[in-house]
Amino acid sequence: MTISQEARPEAPQPKSLVKSFFTNRVFVSALIAMSLFSLIRILTGTAEMSSFQSWGAMLRLAVPILLAGLGGLYAERAGVVNIGLEGMMILGTWFAGYGAFAWGPWRGILFGMVGGLIGGALHALATVTFKIDHIVSGVAINIIGAGMGRFLSTVFYVGRTDAGVTQSPRMTGSVERFTVPILADVFKAMEDTDWFLIGDIGGILHGWTRNISWFTLLAFLLVPASIYLLWRTKFGLRLRSTGENPWAAESLGVRVYTYKWVAVLISGALAGMGGAYLVTEQAGLYREGMTGGRGFIGLAALIFGNWRPAGVATGAAIFGYGLTLQLRGESAAVRALLLFAGIGLLLYALWQFRSRGVNSLLSWIGGVLLIVAYFMVEEIPAEFIAMAPYVLTLIVISQAAGRLRMPAADGIPYRRGEAH
Amino acid sequence: MKRYMRLLALLAALTLVIAACGGSEEGGDTTEAEAPATTEAPAPDTTEGSTDTTEGSTDTTEVMVDGSDISVALVFDIGGRGDQSFNDAAARGFDEKLAEYGFEPVELQANTAGDDRDELLDLAASQGAALVIGNGFLFEDAVEANAEAYPETFFAITDAALADADFAPYDLPNVSELLFAEHEGSFLVGAAAALKSTTGKIGFIGGVAIPLIQKFEAGYRAGAEYINPDIEIVSNYLTQPPDFTGFTDPAKGAEAANAMYDGGADVVYHAAGGSGGGLFESAKAKSEEQGTQLWAIGVDSDQYLTASAELQPYILTSMLKRVDIAVASTIDDVINGSFTGGDRVFDLSVDGVGYSTTGGFVDDIAAQLDELKAMIIDGTIEVPSTLG
Repeated sequence: MTISQEARPEAPQPKSLVKSFFTNRVFVSALIAMSLFSLIRILTGTAEMSSFQSWGAMLRLAVPILLAGLGGLYAERAGVVNIGLEGMMILGTWFAGYGAFAWGPWRGILFGMVGGLIGGALHALATVTFKIDHIVSGVAINIIGAGMGRFLSTVFYVGRTDAGVTQSPRMTGSVERFTVPILADVFKAMEDTDWFLIGDIGGILHGWTRNISWFTLLAFLLVPASIYLLWRTKFGLRLRSTGENPWAAESLGVRVYTYKWVAVLISGALAGMGGAYLVTEQAGLYREGMTGGRGFIGLAALIFGNWRPAGVATGAAIFGYGLTLQLRGESAAVRALLLFAGIGLLLYALWQFRSRGVNSLLSWIGGVLLIVAYFMVEEIPAEFIAMAPYVLTLIVISQAAGRLRMPAADGIPYRRGEAH
Repeated sequence: MKRYMRLLALLAALTLVIAACGGSEEGGDTTEAEAPATTEAPAPDTTEGSTDTTEGSTDTTEVMVDGSDISVALVFDIGGRGDQSFNDAAARGFDEKLAEYGFEPVELQANTAGDDRDELLDLAASQGAALVIGNGFLFEDAVEANAEAYPETFFAITDAALADADFAPYDLPNVSELLFAEHEGSFLVGAAAALKSTTGKIGFIGGVAIPLIQKFEAGYRAGAEYINPDIEIVSNYLTQPPDFTGFTDPAKGAEAANAMYDGGADVVYHAAGGSGGGLFESAKAKSEEQGTQLWAIGVDSDQYLTASAELQPYILTSMLKRVDIAVASTIDDVINGSFTGGDRVFDLSVDGVGYSTTGGFVDDIAAQLDELKAMIIDGTIEVPSTLG
């Protein structure tokens, strides 16, 4: 569980990882949650809760948040707080909009990454080279990002009929999509059975195998790739060491500045990629303000996920699911989810009660309140649906506060030769 | 060295103070000097002038001289000139009248944070503009404050009526509130949607759940139900106030539209500003996926004209909101001396709202739509402006 164990060279081999996966607590609790979800779907009769189209939408809505969160992960693992993710994402959207319009979506993605990289370079220059406070630099980059988008649009797009100061022309072409052969049909058959658990898992997997863009796949492959890179390679160990204790790393001969620079550059490129996803997968063009705070939500997903790639992915998925319910107008599903959350919280309280006794009181109350709310409320106001993922993040953070652990030297300015 | 720097800083600060004094003094003079001139002098000349322009070019120089006596300020909201939406529409009306009268134009634009609207109106009024137009409902507070501070200056605001702290409407003699009967225009595109739908299910996407946008939905519903009382209408709003990102988030627009097309809707209308681009993308993608013709309806301006060629085949029509007509007619009024404060509603009868026909997709139903339009104008049909 702890970082130091996994960081050792004699870390467990992938084979044992697979084995331990099925006895893993995460897996077991996911299975319990899934069964509960399925049970409630059947009891309340809200079929939309697991239609494959909703799960496909969830995937698309989660990716930009995931990419921003992963971006934050690289920077913060190297000890650089990055609240400039939003600004880097904005730069990503602008550059992706231009690239996709001029040369098609794939070069647009590449361009978007370059845009984010520029933001990352600024942040690295300010925080690593000039030791400016990380928050100040991050805020500045958010402002610069928004301003640059407007400025560049004024330079490139004014006078066009299909674009202007607030938006780019539409991209040419689009990213190819694929459907996994055989598997997608198997999952569809599973979904169509509508059986307990089988139907729901079928719905999810069907949504994740049909009509998926290659960019989405690429984005999700970045999660295992980041786990491997950060926890299984020398590069990753050194990068993380600069976030935990740069002075110790320095004493062992790690070029701390270089690693921090590289980490922040990767961070910017990933955030830019998240911006590019919005452009090439959903909007088809750059529009001023289109990131809508997703960079900050990515930061929340990072904290939710305890500064670990799989955790970031989970956080992004929850935010994505919340957005899905809201945008697909599924207030009945949200109401059913109240019951789900209530019972889930009670189960958690029961588990908590065994180890922590009275401390579980809050969970008991919360669970009961949610179930009461389910029976009291006819339809959930849209405001609450929009709010739900944030509330969930707060709950998780408050419950897991003791176990969330940010890199030890995160946000602390580092100067070479100042070991103490 | 250090002392020298301090001296420099002091000098710089002093310059700022002096500059600030100079500005306000100058501003005070001009408002007094020019405001009466605008109300009296241009009135007789320009009525004459406007007829002249149609006749011959020799007289236009005279008109230019007359018009240049005054200055008219147009303060754009965040999007600014080039936003292809209501700011550009206002700019069109402004440019048209600038060419006609040759007044001194002042163009200002709210910053991205949108926190300087008050200062911009103040700047325009203090520099002696005869008419200051705040383009967009977000100018409401700023217009109110400045209209009281500069009673001699005429103000106009698009899309908003002044209201006091209890939301009761009230008027100022020097403020013209330019309102649009969006529900009437939406009624027509709702009727078009119902006539074109083959599935009997249509959709509406609002940017932010505020009364101004709900007005669009109310008209759209009424129009669709007038044609087909059994029609099913799904609606969704992208964000809830005070979160206004629903107007600039095409990714959300696309996903909301995906859900509607997945659910069997085949025409979707949006009143979501920049998020509407996502609707057009979705109409294209889902048409290709389902192998059927799905339609999207644009808003504010003729969005067929600004969409890329790949998306044009999916844009059925657009609900037009003629901000240009409103701005142009207000400028006319000021120059003719016929400015009046209070509400002015631009509705179907003055073509303040309407629907577009570019692309030719509604040609087959245009006769029916025009018949409905006539019935709304003569009062046979009363279109609701709020959701019931």
